Amino acid sequence: MARGVRHFVAAAALVAAVAYAALYGRLYSPPTIHSDGYSYYVYLPSAFIYRDLTMEKLADDWYRGPYPEYTGLRRWPSTGRWLNLHPMGTAILMAPFFVVADLLTVWSNLPRDGFSLYYQHGAALGGMVFFLLGLAMVRRMLREQFSDGVVLATLVCLTWGTNLFHYAVFDGTFSHIYAFFAVCLFIWLVERWWERPALWCSIAVGVVAGINVLIRHTNAIYLLVLPLYGIVRWHDLGPRLAALRNRWRSLATAAVAGVVVVAPQLALYKRTTGAWLVNAYVTHGMGFSLTSPHFVDTLFSTQKGLFFWSPILLLGVAGVFVATGRARALAAPAVIVFAIQTALIATWSQWQFGASFGHRGFTDGFALAAPLMAASFDWVARHRKAIPAVAIGVTAAVLLSVAQMIQYWIGVLPMVDTTWAQYTDLFLRFR
Amino acid sequence: MRRGHWIKAAAAALVAVAVLAYLYDPPWIEGVTSGLRPWEQDPPGTLFRWTIGRASFFVPSNVATLTVPLRAVFPGPNGTPVRVELRDDGRLVGTIELTDPGAWVRQTLPLKPHAGRRRFRRIDLRISRVVPPFDLGVMTGEVVER
Repeated sequence: MARGVRHFVAAAALVAAVAYAALYGRLYSPPTIHSDGYSYYVYLPSAFIYRDLTMEKLADDWYRGPYPEYTGLRRWPSTGRWLNLHPMGTAILMAPFFVVADLLTVWSNLPRDGFSLYYQHGAALGGMVFFLLGLAMVRRMLREQFSDGVVLATLVCLTWGTNLFHYAVFDGTFSHIYAFFAVCLFIWLVERWWERPALWCSIAVGVVAGINVLIRHTNAIYLLVLPLYGIVRWHDLGPRLAALRNRWRSLATAAVAGVVVVAPQLALYKRTTGAWLVNAYVTHGMGFSLTSPHFVDTLFSTQKGLFFWSPILLLGVAGVFVATGRARALAAPAVIVFAIQTALIATWSQWQFGASFGHRGFTDGFALAAPLMAASFDWVARHRKAIPAVAIGVTAAVLLSVAQMIQYWIGVLPMVDTTWAQYTDLFLRFR
Repeated sequence: MRRGHWIKAAAAALVAVAVLAYLYDPPWIEGVTSGLRPWEQDPPGTLFRWTIGRASFFVPSNVATLTVPLRAVFPGPNGTPVRVELRDDGRLVGTIELTDPGAWVRQTLPLKPHAGRRRFRRIDLRISRVVPPFDLGVMTGEVVER
């Protein structure tokens, strides 16, 4: 393995550490647990410190009443209990970091309130660790098919040409970097499962799928990767259905494992609202708006357009047409999941997903884009005349993405509703 | 396990012990706060920070008395006083009642001699009410330690 590829994850860790230190390294830095990150995280202090999954004690201790408006917690109308907009999967993955932070808090005599210094850094560190684990998994997957140069180019583009690094460092307590890792792991397990559906693999597929659904319920769409993996033509569908029928025991095992993982969340919903399945967004007045979808805005607008803010992902689109081998096996799942994801986001009443750098609704699925981006680089490597133009374009796209990420961090770029006039006015301005 | 692994494990254990020893009483802990917003200045020039429903900060261990300027600004429910409970490393020091929302209250509280070996002791405040929508507890001024 070439040195660049071998050390890529370590290099990304170093850059992430430097960026994190600059953003959150001072005693009076802003909290890492903010905005949506609060609601994803709040399960942990509630469970481990207040020993109360109803979230009542934490609200009483910190706010002497209701949770602040910016959080995702509202009282369910019929029961009066706190319902969290965000499910518990992110908190489950954060838990080891929380436990260490909690032990250190007691050791250093810091306030054991769930939000003091070590809790803030512990939660953020969790995001960075899962980012690096996800990158390591992507590297492993890509190396099975592509040359070191292609793998390195893909990893650099994925990390800094998109908002992935931002959601690892700046908003590392949000769910997206955890979902990125879960999708990486799920794809890797699906490939193993289709090679041989061993018992451990079936259980792992179910557990990881369950965790991903617990991170964001709409991530259930990634379950489609399992049946769609390897389908490249229409007439692959029949044999695929037969293969799934033949593996029904393994599928049932995975389903049972998944249900076991999801069960605590369902039990919490039942206790909070009286129903096993709940749409928590009704408490926030959000929902789907099928009559006025924002497809073009979601993909191309200055507000949050996916390809406007991360044009490097167009390589993934091109990759669908040139992919071969393992990458081609992931093309159909990637296209179908992407189409569903786009439809879900475009018809959502808050289609910009609030404050975000780029469109964070797609960050979870970047592991599906990676092999397709690699396929594009691989094609370019075989068509040498295209190399200079692509190299210039890709370098510019990555540098622009990094510059805009820094603009967002220092508050130059608006967090939401960016207009073309604002964009051009602020282009590459850092004050 | 090979010898090299033993040496690495021993080095890692040593580093872990050293880090833990350092974190038992780090010098920067005096600057750590929780539940306190950034410093602001009111029109006469008084520095203050808003709390939420609870707040914590650190003072040197050898402090004998503590004066925490407090101002409620908003009254308690039905005009009742706002109560602020002060704890020193978890032990109750006293409860201060803020009857006049507009007035700064500067009550001095004695602290027991510190028994431990740490250089700083933790002061926790618990405020009896929080005002939405900005979750304001009470204003705290610059702490006077003697």
